[in-house]
Amino acid sequence: MLAIELIAQGLIQGSIYALVALGLTLVYGLLRILHVAHAALFTLGGYVGVLVCNASGNLPLGFFCAALVSGLGGVVMFRLAYQPLLNQPPYVALIASIGLFIASEEAFRIIFGAQGMSFNTPSLEQQFSIGGLQFKLAELLVMLSTAAIIGVLAFLQSRTRVGIACQATVSDPQMAQSFGISLRQVRDINFFVGSALAGFAGVWVALLNNLVEPTMGSVPSYKALAIIVLGGLGSVPGTLTAALLLGVIEAFGTIYLGGILDRNAIAFAFLIAVLMVRPQGLFARS
Amino acid sequence: MKSRRPHFSLLTVAAATVAFSACPAWAQLKLGFNVPLTGFAAADGKSSLEGAKLAVEQANAKGGVAGQKIELVVYDDQATPKEAVPSATKMVEKDQVVAAVSGSYSGSTRAAAVIFQRAQVPYVVAYAIHPDITLAGDYMFRVSAMGEVQGRGGAKLVQNLGKKKVVLVTLKNDFGQALAAGFKEAAPKLGINIINEYEYGMPDRQFGPLVSKIKSDNPDVIYASGYFFTAGPLVSQLRAAGVTAPIIGQEGYDSDKFIEIAGPASEGTYVTTSLDRDSDAPATKAFLADYRKATGSGADMVAAASFTATSVAIEGLKKSGGKGGAALRDAIAAGSYDMPIGKLEFNDLHEVKKDIQVQIVKDKAFRRHSIISDQVLLAPPTKAK
Repeated sequence: MLAIELIAQGLIQGSIYALVALGLTLVYGLLRILHVAHAALFTLGGYVGVLVCNASGNLPLGFFCAALVSGLGGVVMFRLAYQPLLNQPPYVALIASIGLFIASEEAFRIIFGAQGMSFNTPSLEQQFSIGGLQFKLAELLVMLSTAAIIGVLAFLQSRTRVGIACQATVSDPQMAQSFGISLRQVRDINFFVGSALAGFAGVWVALLNNLVEPTMGSVPSYKALAIIVLGGLGSVPGTLTAALLLGVIEAFGTIYLGGILDRNAIAFAFLIAVLMVRPQGLFARS
Repeated sequence: MKSRRPHFSLLTVAAATVAFSACPAWAQLKLGFNVPLTGFAAADGKSSLEGAKLAVEQANAKGGVAGQKIELVVYDDQATPKEAVPSATKMVEKDQVVAAVSGSYSGSTRAAAVIFQRAQVPYVVAYAIHPDITLAGDYMFRVSAMGEVQGRGGAKLVQNLGKKKVVLVTLKNDFGQALAAGFKEAAPKLGINIINEYEYGMPDRQFGPLVSKIKSDNPDVIYASGYFFTAGPLVSQLRAAGVTAPIIGQEGYDSDKFIEIAGPASEGTYVTTSLDRDSDAPATKAFLADYRKATGSGADMVAAASFTATSVAIEGLKKSGGKGGAALRDAIAAGSYDMPIGKLEFNDLHEVKKDIQVQIVKDKAFRRHSIISDQVLLAPPTKAK
């Protein structure tokens, strides 16, 4: 019984990791940039969600605005910070990204205060019992919405012109361009979608904890990096599997390894173990 | 238009010159203050700074010390030793403070303590609870109960509530570990059975797996250390999973923000702390009212402890006639203080012996539950041990 409960909790946490890491893997697949500042957009989403929800009392509107603002924030970050650095070695963009992340954390603190913010009337608090396991409605909806979003994205990517253009750009940018695909547009769309997912995840975390803080992105910032490396850099199915697997492993690790290994170190112990056996990650792209 | 600019800047320079030249006329006594204004502990830092500022304002309004105004020299230490060391060095070397106050956590305060001790600058610590701080030397003072003492108080509360089976949830830092050590020391003597202990890290906010395990442990009571930003999510997640055992927290929970984050789940949570909001003591009532007037929000333990530590340093300065060093050290050590967090006297290790206030969350506010005043159990360490 405890094992099932731990798996369920692991999947809830894994869903959040998946939403954050997906955006990161999209960016890496396209531009080969390790986009640490992605976690700042996750925090931004949390703040926008709480602010909009508190002002309007409408949670779906909060989610929508959070995804929209974070998505646009991602495009702005790309245009201002990464685009001018695309011809530089990859570590230049990485350094810019880390700087951007630290600056954003402090900006959140200055603008919204150090104390963090909570929902005036927390939603989705209702409790459900499924097969003897007790869940908060929010916990169930995190998993369901993640699954739905990923399904929709997979459909868009394989069945629509824009999705196919994105895939073509990832595998061969020059060839894609010569077929008339606008690189700029594809990059903007990628940043928008990836960042919107992070913003969406930010609202979920805000709901689950009833708290958004300036530093709420600090753990996802490096854990999402571990996840995309685990999943084989740039692979979407790999990232998903790695995120869910890590969630479950962490759930068990917190209880049974808690005395030896910090919860946040488990991701890296797992990463090292996997890379020793499969240096290309769990699902490397061919 | 052009010709007006030079006039304007000349006027500014002139005004600035007058302002600066006027400064030396008011001699100022500098009181150092290290506090986390950025980083993870910034929320506590803000409360702490407000408490210290209030103490200085009140003292200055009453004429300062020996005809001199007190100036609070504030350094942001981010609650980390690497920032606390240069801050303490600057206070000693550059600002030449007569005394200093810590409005920060144990990690940074321990690092700064050594520097102030070496420079023989009295250092009054508000709410950092690590035992090593007062062991740094005789220029160190602490106005709140040490972590171990608070942990023992927590065990006593479990006994008072008539509970036996406890699960410990411990925050992995100086604060959490000192509390757990005190609790574990007292538990066997009080007939308390610790059935499990779990640890968590400062960045953790999602406790799903931990909550599932605690639920299967089925304890009578949960003793969980943490700060409001970890405790809020923890308490709310425990209640959402259907865990109904009482939860005991400590000073770190002591903020209205805890109640805001945990919402209705916070009701009934016990907190062992040093601020009694329902106190009849004039010093406490006056502080609570003055703090609300000055900041527009309710005081928490951190604000009350920082106000107290700053006031103790100022009282000492009044007695030493504004002199620092050994004169100030002896003046502070000999004093007896009527403060918002109780009546304080220092022992030979410069620790205070005081009761522990148990507050309970009731109707969205901290209210008095009981007071633990076991002289033997709550005795702070002395030089002898």
